[in-house]
Order: sequence, then structure tokens, then C-alpha cells
Amino acid sequence: MMILRDSLRALLVLLALSWASVAMAGPYEDALQKFTTDSYADTDTAIVGVASSGNPQALAVVEALRDGRLLAGAGRVVIRDASGAMTDAATGQAIAGAAPADLKPVRVNNRVRRAIEAALGSMTLMSPDAGKRLDAARAVFRSKDAAALPILDQALAQEKDATVKTILEEARAAILLSAPDISSADRIAAIGVLKARGNQDALALLSSVTGAPEVVEAAQAAAAGIRSRLELWNALQNVWYGISLGSVLLLAAIGLAITFGTMGVINMAHGEMVMIGAYTTFVVQEIIRTQMPGLFGASLFIALPLAFVVAGGIGILIERTVIRFLYGRPLETLLATWGLSLMLQQAVRSIFGPTNREVGTPAWMSGALELGGLSLTYNRIAIVIFAFGVFAALLLVMRYTSLGLFVRAVTQNRRMAGSMGIRTNRIDALAFGLGSGVAGIAGVALSQIDNVSPNLGQGYIIDSFMVVVFGGVGNLWGTLVGAMTLGIANKLLEPYAGAVLGKIVLLIAIILFIQRRPRGLFALKGRAVEA
Amino acid sequence: MNAPVTPTLLYLDNVTVSFDGFRALNALSLAIDHAEMRAIIGPNGAGKTTMMDVITGKTRPNEGTALFEGSYDLTSLDEADIAQLGIGRKFQTPTVFDMHSVEDNILLALKDDRRPFPTLFSRRTRLERERIDALLERVRLTGHRHRKASELSHGQKQWLEIGMLLAQEPKLLLVDEPAAGMTDQETADTADLLRDIAKTRAVVVVEHDMTFVRDLGVKVTCLHEGSVLAEGSLDAVSADERVIEVYLGR
Amino acid sequence: MSQVFDRRTIVVLVLLAAAAILVPAMNMLAAPGSAFHLSDHLVPLLGKYLAFALLALSVDLVWGYCGILSLGHGAFFALGGYAMGMYLMRQIGARGVYANPTLPDFMVFLNWKELPWFWYGFDWFPFAMLMVLLVPGLLAFVFGWFAFRSRVTGVYLSIITQAMTFALMLAFFRNDMGFGGNNGLTDFKDILGFPIQAASTRVVLFVASAVALAGGYLLCRWIVTSKLGKVLVAVRDAESRTRFLGYRVEHYKLAVFTLSAMLAGVAGALYVPQVGIINPGEFAPANSIEVVIWVAVGGRGTLAGAILGALVVNAGKTWFTGALPELWLFALGGLFVFVTLLMPKGILGTAEEWWERARRKPKAGVAPDALPSAAE
Repeated sequence: MMILRDSLRALLVLLALSWASVAMAGPYEDALQKFTTDSYADTDTAIVGVASSGNPQALAVVEALRDGRLLAGAGRVVIRDASGAMTDAATGQAIAGAAPADLKPVRVNNRVRRAIEAALGSMTLMSPDAGKRLDAARAVFRSKDAAALPILDQALAQEKDATVKTILEEARAAILLSAPDISSADRIAAIGVLKARGNQDALALLSSVTGAPEVVEAAQAAAAGIRSRLELWNALQNVWYGISLGSVLLLAAIGLAITFGTMGVINMAHGEMVMIGAYTTFVVQEIIRTQMPGLFGASLFIALPLAFVVAGGIGILIERTVIRFLYGRPLETLLATWGLSLMLQQAVRSIFGPTNREVGTPAWMSGALELGGLSLTYNRIAIVIFAFGVFAALLLVMRYTSLGLFVRAVTQNRRMAGSMGIRTNRIDALAFGLGSGVAGIAGVALSQIDNVSPNLGQGYIIDSFMVVVFGGVGNLWGTLVGAMTLGIANKLLEPYAGAVLGKIVLLIAIILFIQRRPRGLFALKGRAVEA
Repeated sequence: MNAPVTPTLLYLDNVTVSFDGFRALNALSLAIDHAEMRAIIGPNGAGKTTMMDVITGKTRPNEGTALFEGSYDLTSLDEADIAQLGIGRKFQTPTVFDMHSVEDNILLALKDDRRPFPTLFSRRTRLERERIDALLERVRLTGHRHRKASELSHGQKQWLEIGMLLAQEPKLLLVDEPAAGMTDQETADTADLLRDIAKTRAVVVVEHDMTFVRDLGVKVTCLHEGSVLAEGSLDAVSADERVIEVYLGR
Repeated sequence: MSQVFDRRTIVVLVLLAAAAILVPAMNMLAAPGSAFHLSDHLVPLLGKYLAFALLALSVDLVWGYCGILSLGHGAFFALGGYAMGMYLMRQIGARGVYANPTLPDFMVFLNWKELPWFWYGFDWFPFAMLMVLLVPGLLAFVFGWFAFRSRVTGVYLSIITQAMTFALMLAFFRNDMGFGGNNGLTDFKDILGFPIQAASTRVVLFVASAVALAGGYLLCRWIVTSKLGKVLVAVRDAESRTRFLGYRVEHYKLAVFTLSAMLAGVAGALYVPQVGIINPGEFAPANSIEVVIWVAVGGRGTLAGAILGALVVNAGKTWFTGALPELWLFALGGLFVFVTLLMPKGILGTAEEWWERARRKPKAGVAPDALPSAAE
């Protein structure tokens, strides 16, 4: 009985097989059969066959193969989807019940994987979805699979989308360049296309071109062109980093430009005002996290005015209790404010602990903007815009408000300002508060890119002084130019000298610069200054 | 370069100084003779102090010639060089070394080797002591010789500074508003002292106080907007139409 | 010469001599249990204080007498220390972890094949001592030559001196500088053949520090009481007046700045063998500013005050960081504020003022002015 049943079963299988081959035989079905032989070479052929068949099932088959969901055995090929349901690859009909025991997943190796990649690329080239077509074109560009050439040509002929078309052409060029038996003229044309692409991939392709000398020459020329263009982008990227660093310096230094630049007060605790602004951000975020998580995206906007008030308030307190007794004694002011900075650091350390505190980045500030060959992260963009915004606001305050007018008056002639009814004491306190408050809001911005620790401010104090001194004391524009110059110079030096050496070189350059122009880039000239 | 055969002591020609487009001195020309006393007058901003700055090397002129004794180019020397050539300068506000005694103030000003090392090993000689005594006598500070300069009155500081100038043994003294903040008696005494000094040295006095200038009774140069407006006796200058216009306005 | 040896100078010298005798005696002669015994770990601690006092003295010479507020003297101190450290490194010889006879351990670790040229000669003590003076002196000379010639003064000068020490700190943190990078120079074995950890060596180093401090103090006294010293004070109080008297101010500043840097270098050289390490942290701008406060606490422009301030503040630091570490920065910060606001003349200056006032009271009224109507 057993034998009979078994032979009957074998017969049935044979029948089924022959039925399948007879009834549905075609290139797709023929290709499918190759999956069942458990040979890498056959699998390879199968992929190419399936992919070029045009059968609606073809994409599903290759994707299943890629994901290890294509089962084959005993002349049958079955697709299993993620939930475990089975579909016959040949007919597209669902198979009820559990997987037949004689089916095993089709094995893949690296060569097969490349074939899969290429096949997927060429198959989705015709997809109605432009995004998929783009991905497919990129996949073909990477695989450089000569087999995809006919379908690529077909796709090119009907492609309407300009972006996709460009990539398709580049993919075609990549294939032409690496495939054998292509005429020199075609290859040179291909080089032209790749040169226009001009990125790292194209560069790699072009530099590895071999063959006829004129082709190699053209490829090398194109590669050189790309290299110099990449260098240009690279330099631009560095300039952007420089602007970004310059904005950070500007933020850190601009409050100092008021207290030191216009009031002549050396505030060594300036960095601690920045630090306090950063910690204010931390506290605001903590409260939002626990009380009203929905507001997290707006946390920085809530922190800004608070940081201004907190840091400004502490600034006014410092001015009233310490600095006002030291006007006209800049060196003593320097020492006293240094002492204050030590106390503020220790106070923050005692309250919040010595370790870094986590300040979150709102969702709208994460990610990056791709611009040609540039990659600009949103948080840096935000800081650059913010720094310029603060600068503009401060410029307007100094120029058009009565506070600004009074501060300038007191700066230029304290006694005269006093006798004209300006309460110089109050102006001093307010100006110092303004400078400190601006440092506080700088702290909000810097909390996004730096570690929020009690030492945060220390890292900025020397740089900020360098910016103000370099730019020229008493001149906000000088501070802007100083910050940007130093930021960009620093980032342009970095690739050659390394970060630390670059910074040292810059410090020495500033020291030498101050020797040449002791009063900075935008120095006031004339007799009044000498007094 | 054709230096005059009998050189005037100080010779300024076509000196121009501008700060950011503002011309503090505008083609100023001036000559001071040996042992001549000259009073420089002029309204605020006429360029009096800037002229002193140019002569003493504090400010470099944009163009023009400034010669001392016909051969020394003042525009290429610094303050210390010029001081050692024999040009002494008294500031508008009396500037003395507050923390030093009156005697030490004079000692530091005495003509001597000015280089650091000789200064380190310098001992006070008998000659120097006599010079100090004589100078203190002349500026009437003998009784205060051991006091700190900061303890002196305003008038005494002015005199101490003049004493320091004399200790330098200069050929030319530039004196900026010596009578400012002084009582009438002090002003008169100062005028006497300056007249006395001018017997042996050239003195240039910048002054606002017309009574004081009249007391001096010397040739007057009136500056306006950085150049010489009028020159001559005080009476002649104050009769000049343009001078009156400048001082009184249109 | 009598001006050099005023009463205060004699007191300072006597006290230093007493320390140079008593500390060794109490350490070596007094029985370990007795109340007079000075334990072994205190000797280098006190020696460190004396090195700091010499550093403070050097700052007082430029700041107190010439008005140059240097926030970079820590750099000269550290350079002197590194010169000494390089000598001590070479003395280790083959006793290092890697047992390389010529290369210090960190160079072997960094895979260096031979000694960099600037390490040559440091195995010879006299050469190393010469470098202790020359390296800080040369840096100060070059820096000062640029700065003083272009008349950078006041806070600008302070800020660029701070930038100088900051740049040096960054440089010395780099491994490729050849000075041990982050870790600096340490694990010293002996000095002039004597084991550096031995109690007797430490006593000798203490005495050497006391002698150096006394010598430095006398040198400074000699300078400030000479006519040169008077010129320095003149520069401090009225720079342009001094210039118009014919003194070339920049030369004076340069001379005194360079000398002061050399003194600071000696202080660093004494410091290193007593603490057993020198690393780039010594260049930190904060250190240099701290030195200034020692001087301010003791009384700037008094020399003895600088010594006093260094000793008082450092003893306080040792006590605080042991007993109340949390509060030390509050105390130090508060000291900065207190001294600048309420005691600008420091301990000695204030005491002097009281003394003067007390002495003057009995004989009030000075001789009438010679100028008849001087407005008082």
C-alpha cells in the first residue's frame, strides 16, 4: 500500500509538472524553473530571465528572493509573504495551508545579490511611481549591469521626469563605460555625461577607466574637473562651517561688545552668563517634559526670554554690587569679575551637579538641508539666522532706542551725559544687564550644539575677547566682522593644520595683529580716543 | 634737502594731520628762533594740541616738514628721541609722578643716560644733588621736597612739572595752558617764571587766557582750523579782522 | 645699598632663613611622635608654596611696579618647569617602563625612533638650568618686543598674555609637540643622582626654594630701590610723561618683563621636582589669574606682600580642598571680589596705611606752602 501510494503521488507530481510546463510554458516560466535547481549560476540566469520577462509577478519574485522569501523545490516556485501566506510564483494563486515540506528558500550569495539588485533596478525603471524609478535608476548606476542596458534604453525613451531622466542617462553612461566592447566614441560620450554628474561616485568610476588611450585621457580630464569641483564644494562647505562657527562666536561675543566695547568693563564672568542661559534652557525643558510635553517643540522660544531675564538680572545684580565701584579701574574689574565667574561656576555645579546636562533638540531643528554639494544641518542654520537676528536687534536697540542713545552718550562723555539729566548709574546697570541678557540668549542657542556643563562659559571667554579685540572695541560691526573672520579662518585652516594647531595659529595671528593695530580692525581714530 | 644756513630752532612747514578726513592741521607753517618765547592762541579745535603732538613725536603728520635745529627730522623720531634732543613738553593737566616724592620727580627728569642698564646702576652724584636743590628753589618747592607729588596743590603740580622740564635742560619748552586752574597771583608768578626761562631757552606757550598772554608780552601766533591765521604782537593780532571774526563769530 | 635692606626686607630674610633651618630640623631631627615633628609629606608641600611665592614675586615686579598686568605668567612658570622636567626625564635613563636608555617612555609609546633635537643637552644639569632661564626669558623677550613696541597696554595686554598661555596650553596638549602631551612629564627617579622621593632630597629642595626665594626677593628689592625702579613706577603712573622725559618706555618694560619671566621660570623649575609632575594644565589661563590674586591679597607693589599672599592663599587652598572642597571656589572667587573692592592695597598695603596714619596723627600740619596762595 505504501509503495502504491508513494508511486501514485510521484505520478501526480509528474503530471502536474508536465501540465504546468505544457499549459503555461513561456520565458517567465522557463526562467522560474531555474530557481529550483539549487545552483547559484542557474539562480543568476533565472533572475535575468524573470526580470526581462515583463511578467507582472516578476517584481514580487525578485523581491522575495532578495528577502529570502522565495521557496523552490520539486519544480515549484512559491512566494511567501511576510505574514507567511503562500502564493504560487507561476500562477499568482494563493496556496492554502502550510508550506509544502519539499520547498526550501532559494539560496543567494554575493553574486546573486548583485544580480538581484540590478534586476530590481531595471524592473522598477518602468514603475509609474517617479520616486521608485529614481531609486531604480540609482541602483542601476551602482550595479553597472550591462544586462539592464536594453530596458534602460526603453525606460529612457519614455521617461518624462527630468531628474529621473538625468539619472537614467548617467546610469547608462556608467554601464557603457564599464561594459566591454563599447566604441571609444560612445565611451567618451559617456564620460561627458558622468562629468556632468560630478560627485564622488562619478569620480570613482572615471578614475578606474581603462582601455583606449583617448578614452583614458578623456576620463582623466573629466576626473580632474570633478575633483576641482568637489574641492570647491568642499571649500564652500568649510566656509559654511566657518560661518556657523563665526555665528557661535558672534553670539558669545556680542554681549561682550556692549559691556567691554562700549562701557569699557572687562567682564570675565561673561562666559558664565552664557552658561546660565544654557541652564535656563535645561530647566525650561525639564519643566515642559514633566508638565506639558506637547510644548517641547516651542521650548527654545520659551527659554529665550527667560534666559534673557535671568542672565540680565544677574548681570544687573553684579553691576550694582561689584562693578559700579570699579569704573575706571579696568584691571581690578577684570579680577573681580573673574572671582564672580568662579563663584557662579561653583554655584551651578552645586545645584545641577558637575556633569553635562541633557538639553534636547526640537524636531524642527534636526535634519539637514542638501544644497548642491553642501549639507547644512538645520540646527546650524537656525543658529546662524539667530545670531544675525540678535545682531540686527542689538544694532537697532543701540541706534534707535533711548537706551541706546543714553548708553552711547554715557560712553562718550559720562560727566556731560550726567549733567544733561541722564541717570548714568541706571544706564550703566541697564547696559550691563543688556549685555548679560544677550549672553543669556546666546546660551540658549549654544545649548543646542555644546555640552551644558558648569564649564560651558570658560570655553568661550578667550575666544569672545579675541573677537571683540580683533574687531575693534566699541563697534558692533567690528564684532560681526571679527567673529566671521575668525570663524571662517579657523575652519579653512583646520583641514591643513588640524583643529588644535589651526586654533594656535589663529591665536598667534591675533596676537601679532593686535601688535600692528592695537585697537582692532575698526578702530576709532582721533584725539578723543587717546585720552 | 637744503637746510637753512643759520637754522631756526624749530621749523614747521606745510604740516598736515588728518584724522578720518578731519584736518586737525592744515598746511601749518611756523618757525621758532633760539631763545624766543612765542604764545599760540586760537579757539578750541584750532589744532594747538595736535601741533604739540607733531613736534613731540606723538602724532605723525600726513605730510609736511618738521625740523629741529635745521637737521633733525622730527617726523621720523619718537617721543623719547625728541625729548633727548632737547624738547620738553608740559601737558595741559599737570602730569607728575604722584607716587614719587617731589625730589624724585626732579631726579627722574634730570638730564642723564636714559637707557635701562645705566639707570639701574645710576648713583646720585653731588652735582645732581646740587642741580636738584637749585631747581627746587627755582620752582619754590624746596620745603616740599620729601612730600609725595600727589599731595601737592594744583598750582604746585604745575610748577613741579615746569621744574621737571627745566631739569631736562631742553632747548625748547612746549607749555600747554600753564595758567589753567590757577589763581591770579599764581598766574602772574608763572608768567614771570616763563619769561625768566625764555632768557636762555625757546618757549612756546599755548594759552587761552588773554591776560596771561598779555603778561608774557611776546609775539603771538593765532591758529584757526589747523593753520596760521595771524602772527605779530598781541595788539596787532587782536586787531586783525579775521581773528575777531573767528573769536566772536559772524 | 641701605635702601635695599629696609626693615621689612630684613624681616623677610630672617623669616626665610628661619624656615630654611627649622623645616629641615623639624623634619629630620624631631622625633616622629613629637609636636615639633614635620611629617615627610609636608616638606614638599611647603617647598611648593615657596616656589609659588617666587612666582608671585615675579608677577608683582611687573604688575606692582610697572603696571603690566600679565595674565600669562603661568606660561613662563610652566616653561621653566618643563625645562626641569626634561632634565628629570633624561635622568630616568633605562629605568622607565620600556627600559629605553635614551627615549623617555612616552616617546617609546608613540613609536618615536630617536630623541627630537630640542631634547638634546637636557641630560646635562647646567644646560637644563640655563634653559630654565633662557626659554621663558626668550619667549617673554619676543612677546614683549612685539607688544611693548606697538604700545599694547592695559587690558589689551592682559588679554593677549592670556591668549599666549592659552595657545601654549593647546600646543603642549598635542602629542606631536614632544613633551608628553596630555600626561606631561612625570615618574621622575632622581635629581643630580639623589633619589627624588627621599626625605633628605626633599629637604634640600625645600632649602633650595627658600634660598632662591630670598635671592629673587633681594634682586627685586635692588631693582625697585634703584633709579630704574623709580622709572618703572613712573611708567606705571604716567607712561606718556615718562616718554616725554626721554625714557624709552618699551625698553624698560621689555627688560623688566623678561627678567620677571626668568624668575617665574626658576619658580617652575623648583616646583616640578617637589610635586613630581609637570603637565599642560599648568598653562591654563586660570592658573595665571590665580597668581595675580595672590599678589593682590598680599599687597601689590610691596614684594613682601606677594610672598605673603602666595603663602596665605595656598595654605587656605590646601585647607579648603581638604576640609570643604565644595566651598573652595566660592572662597577663592569671594577673595577676588573682596580684595579688589574692599582691600585694593592688600594685607601689607592696608597695614602700612594704618601704621602711617597712626604715626602721623601726633604731628599734624605740614610746613606752609612756598607758593603764597596755593589753592589747597
